[in-house]
Amino acid sequence: MAGVRVSALSKSYGALSVLRDIDLEVAEGEFTVLLGPSGCGKSTLLNAIAGLDDINDGTIMIGGEDVTAREPSKRGIAMVFQSYALYPTMTVRGNLSFGLKVKGRPRAEIEKRVAWAAELLQITPQLDRKPGQMSGGQRQRVAIGRALVQDARLFLFDEPLSNLDAKLRTEMRVEIKKLHKELGLTIVYVTHDQIEAMTLATRIAVMQGGRIEQYAAPDELYERPETLFVAGFVGAPAMNFLPGIWRAGAVEVDGIRIPAGALDLRAPVADGTSVVLGVRPEHIGLAEDGAPGEAIATTMQFMEPMGADTLGWFAMGGHRLSVRLAPQRARAVAGATTLALDLRLASLFDATTERRL
Amino acid sequence: MRGQSGAFSPVRLGIYGFLLISAAFFLLPLYVMVVTSLKSMPEIREGNLLALPGAPSAAAWIKAWSTACTGLTCNGIQVGFWNSVTILVPSVAVSISVGAVTGYALSLWRPRGAALLFGILMSVAFVPYQVFLFPLVRMFSYVGLNSTLLGIIVIHTIFGLPTMTLIFRNYFASVPIELFKAARVDGAGFWRIFGSIMLPMAVPIIVVAMILQTTGIWNDFIFGLVFAGRENFPMTVQLNNIVNSTQGEREYNVDMAATMLTALVPLAVYFISGRWFVRGIAAGAVKG
Ligand SMILES: Nc1ncnc2c1ncn2[C@@H]1O[C@H](COP(=O)(O)OP(=O)(O)OP(=O)(O)O)[C@@H](O)[C@H]1O
Ligand SMILES: [Mg+2]
Repeated sequence: MAGVRVSALSKSYGALSVLRDIDLEVAEGEFTVLLGPSGCGKSTLLNAIAGLDDINDGTIMIGGEDVTAREPSKRGIAMVFQSYALYPTMTVRGNLSFGLKVKGRPRAEIEKRVAWAAELLQITPQLDRKPGQMSGGQRQRVAIGRALVQDARLFLFDEPLSNLDAKLRTEMRVEIKKLHKELGLTIVYVTHDQIEAMTLATRIAVMQGGRIEQYAAPDELYERPETLFVAGFVGAPAMNFLPGIWRAGAVEVDGIRIPAGALDLRAPVADGTSVVLGVRPEHIGLAEDGAPGEAIATTMQFMEPMGADTLGWFAMGGHRLSVRLAPQRARAVAGATTLALDLRLASLFDATTERRL
Repeated sequence: MRGQSGAFSPVRLGIYGFLLISAAFFLLPLYVMVVTSLKSMPEIREGNLLALPGAPSAAAWIKAWSTACTGLTCNGIQVGFWNSVTILVPSVAVSISVGAVTGYALSLWRPRGAALLFGILMSVAFVPYQVFLFPLVRMFSYVGLNSTLLGIIVIHTIFGLPTMTLIFRNYFASVPIELFKAARVDGAGFWRIFGSIMLPMAVPIIVVAMILQTTGIWNDFIFGLVFAGRENFPMTVQLNNIVNSTQGEREYNVDMAATMLTALVPLAVYFISGRWFVRGIAAGAVKG
């Protein structure tokens, strides 16, 4: 296994700049997830690391070697594609062994590796079938198997689970995590599903508009988002945003003062700064139940039951707050309600730079 | 289906009637040809075009195949048959092989406005090729290819290429690009990807290409007449010679038999491969 270091990478299609000055470091054995909305350049970055797309600027190192000018097959990588990209006229065995055959490995070694990967992914019974005769989940296993048989230093996954149904996706997610742990693989994994990102990654790079907004461990990303975009993109249900003005240690939202002494700030904020206060739904509680934090008066609007919890929506001035409540408790809430905002875990952003304060 | 649209409703009867008349319209000439070819000349002279032969005989067929006169020689149309086969096999093989490779190469090249570009290419393929005849004859005689077997094979390959290339390009362009990327990561190069992945996927379209080329080349008259040379005249040219060079009485039965013999190959191709043809066209359509 080997780490990756991408530095100052830029890529554009004509006048359209798709990746801008990307720096990314993936340590050996790490599981890095590239997360971002559709069209933000995740696949392009992955293809650049693989050598499948030319880049305009920057360098790519894999395992300490500069591979920027190398062919994909000379980079020591293996890749799993969103559409599986299995060779339709070959059997599963043919698919798994193709790469090794092309590289001229001895027959015995190929057979051994194919048998090992098939066993690991439980596709041994299907080895002599064609991809067209298999289900989506089985095809996905074959695609992963085809990557595993190569003794690659780095594994690249481009939204490998997005074509599967929800249940299968959860199962495969667990298996990919297991493979990463047991085989000690180094993985760069693209997804726009944040649950997948949070559960799998050791570090997540959140991308937007061809830039990396923040690159951090999942907890860090969730608890201390660096930008307004990251705060809004990561977490479901989404973080509540209250735009206001900073005055004497408090955030004034529509004339309502929310004392913010509990906020964990990096530097003192100047009075009169336009800010956005971000509070996650689970950090707001009912004051009458003794939830900690600043009390604010609101009116209950409606409830959204989500199974394990119910999401309560409350109006505060012209804004709406979502609150995670226990389902039984939620049923008894109505009308005017005093909520408690626990600001110890909240985030404050500069409204103009959209960066964390 | 019930009620109004039952088996014998007026609409149904109308449809069946129309189909029967159309079938008769197309089958009648064929029927006349078959019965005429089985008649003797005295019987034909009686003039009953539609009557069944009194004493069916294969004599006219045998004569057409082996002893009918094409100008000065009298070896039947078999000479033309074998000439056509000799021209056909290499022409079909070469034009399809080259077309598959060029189509594959072009499918990897995706410039902006590709649809327009290839649309123009396709329309060029339909330029009437009579306009090329004279310059080509001059060029071919200059390099000594005129009136040779190689010459006519080269001609068929050249004129088959635009269509073959575009058929294969469109088919390969519909293959997902990720498949190609996967093969590149696996270390396969241009030829390896072509041979191991693209070509096996292209079997249905190869069948379509074979049908198009076989019928096209077999039915060709003017290229054979102009470029093949007397020695290599294909069956169509020989047929014309048989039909037109008769001295004295015109032997309708022999002419009919020779015509049907000439049409046999394309007919057989359509009957045997009709199913494949439809499947190949459909495969291309579904993927695109
Ligand atoms: N061949 C191309 N020519 C021009 N623009 C392209 C090309 N490929 C991608 N782009 C553009 O580059 C941007 C990034 O594309 P990319 O495929 O990397 O997005 P992504 O983050 O993977 O999105 P998704 O989640 O939808 O897969 C998009 O705006 C896309 O329109
Ligand atoms: Mg993508």
